[in-house]
Amino acid sequence: MKRYNKFICTGLLLLFHFSLSGQNVIDLRLNELLIINTEDFQDDFGVQSSWFEIFNISYGTVDIGGCYLSNDPNDLKKYTIPRGDVLTKIKPRQHVLFWADNKPYRGSFHVNFTLEDSPVLILTSSDGKTILDMVTLPTDMEPNQSYGRVVDGEGSFGPNSDDSGWAVLSRTSPSTNNYTLDGKSRSEMMKETDPYGLLMAILAMSVVFIALIILTFVFKGTGSIALKSFQKKADAYNKTKKVSLAETSAETFAAIAMAIHLYANENEVHDIETTILTIERGRKNYSPWSSKFYTLRKMPERRNK
Amino acid sequence: MDQIINNLQQFWDYTGFANTTYQHILMICIGLGFIAMGIIKEWEPLLLIPIGFGMIIGNIPLYPGLSVGIYEEGSVFNILYHGVTQGWYPPLIFLGIGAMTDFSSLISNPKLLLIGAAAQFGIFAAYSIALLLGFEANAAGAIGIIGGADGPTAIFLSSRLAPDLMGAIAVSAYSYMALVPLIQPPIMLLFTTKKERLIRMKAPRVVSKMEKVIFPIVGLLLTAFIVPSALPLLGMLFFGNLLKESGVTRRLAETARGPMIDIVTILIGLTVGCSTQADKFLQLESVLIFGLGAFSFIVATAAGVLFVKILNLFLKPENKINPLIGNAGVSAVPDSARVSQLVGLTFDRTNHLLMHAMGPNVAGVIGSAVAAGILLGFLS
Repeated sequence: MKRYNKFICTGLLLLFHFSLSGQNVIDLRLNELLIINTEDFQDDFGVQSSWFEIFNISYGTVDIGGCYLSNDPNDLKKYTIPRGDVLTKIKPRQHVLFWADNKPYRGSFHVNFTLEDSPVLILTSSDGKTILDMVTLPTDMEPNQSYGRVVDGEGSFGPNSDDSGWAVLSRTSPSTNNYTLDGKSRSEMMKETDPYGLLMAILAMSVVFIALIILTFVFKGTGSIALKSFQKKADAYNKTKKVSLAETSAETFAAIAMAIHLYANENEVHDIETTILTIERGRKNYSPWSSKFYTLRKMPERRNK
Repeated sequence: MDQIINNLQQFWDYTGFANTTYQHILMICIGLGFIAMGIIKEWEPLLLIPIGFGMIIGNIPLYPGLSVGIYEEGSVFNILYHGVTQGWYPPLIFLGIGAMTDFSSLISNPKLLLIGAAAQFGIFAAYSIALLLGFEANAAGAIGIIGGADGPTAIFLSSRLAPDLMGAIAVSAYSYMALVPLIQPPIMLLFTTKKERLIRMKAPRVVSKMEKVIFPIVGLLLTAFIVPSALPLLGMLFFGNLLKESGVTRRLAETARGPMIDIVTILIGLTVGCSTQADKFLQLESVLIFGLGAFSFIVATAAGVLFVKILNLFLKPENKINPLIGNAGVSAVPDSARVSQLVGLTFDRTNHLLMHAMGPNVAGVIGSAVAAGILLGFLS
């Protein structure tokens, strides 16, 4: 039985591990791409090529190393993103930019295909089969115009993704967010909309009260259930144990009287529990310092070979 | 000879004497005051002594660049201070609080939870005043939480909303928690009549083990679903309580409420004290924060007491609540409950309010964590 339990635990741990690993790469999204680059962003070699961006939607770092990129649905493993490159680890809510220049010898982020004349762009998991995200490339793009998710990471994704959430963007934003806020923090906006804090006070106090009122009702309910079950048990006990005073032995009365006497005069021998009168059981705490066993020299053992 | 003189000059430049300013001396005196309050008056010594000593450590004048000060990256104190700035310590403290808190009085009389909710009004009153004084909304929220009378919650929230003000907020929160026996009684007496102070409350019923086990699970599910941003605090609080009440994890519960909370209390107290470096701490903002903290605390106490009075209007005579336990709605556990007991005894030597006051007191812990979650949700 113990071995059986071990198997279950190991299985659960493995499942947990794999589900975590799976969780990581499924948080990657193709986010923005530019097909014809004549005046836009340049790579480290000063060359303008088509590029695409992958976004990590999670709040944890994801290593993209070992995943595959392709522009051919029949060859998902066209470009292997190298493992062991520190730059393939994408930080939470960050982007990584790839150059589709068909020059993979220029580094991990230069793939062996281009986007021009490609029908699709596919990101595949390290198993080489699971398509994490794919996008059908538009054919009517102007030079230096990018196509991407309107809000980073949002919209349909996966092997059957459609174009929902994607659009021609008003400006290119390689390695940065496609969508940015107007610069005001939530705190600033809060101060503008509620300069005296009254709205906040009313809202927040309401939420605090609602949370604690719900708790109050829940525990009133559980309390009444507990009381009923206690009452039931007490009734059942009284039915089975109908002991009249006449049948009660003198020893019982003596024990009760002694307990009350001790409780009243020598309180320290009792443990105190609400509504229950008991005599505390004497305890002798074990300690290796006082154990006779440890103070004795161990007898030598003869081992039979 | 010149070389020796130069070396001596350099040594002198490195000493604290050469770098002392009157602000350093003032902060060291405040630190000594904290230690004196802790030892002589025994007001929250477990907090005031580490904080006070931390203030002295943090205000020893240093030659910059020695990688010793708390704000210098890589120094020992800086590494320990990460637990405060990143908000690791407060949830660990909450774990210990959960493992040492008996929620029986609250479970037996759940309406006491509402007192814990009412006392949170102090937080939002201080928030409004802070906005009027010109603080940004996030800073105002962090300052307001002082009224929750919960040091770990104040540190947790200020580390997220206003890290620059955290030292002042933490010291203010812990100072007022230590001063609970001084601040609360006059407010309690001001808002209650003699007749009200003599109200005898019904003895709480016995709570079954099953109810005690259900409480942390249901409590977490309900509160965390409403305010997920308070999860680090509520999750750890209720987890600690489950360790205690389950009866099968005694070792874990004992570690959480014993050695672990002691270690974290030492670290949090010392580093918060250290963070009050004179150049960062002695500013007009800190004075305002102390003033707002006191205001927040007073309003919270008054709100708790007044709420009980209002609640009594709707309760049957045999179920009336003594308004002297209203102050315990702030979450300074167990000091504010002890204040209820002591003030109650001065009017009726046989009317023990402690067990009743523990209900709103622990409800205050939940309430302040929920309030912190709301502020975090709105302002971060």
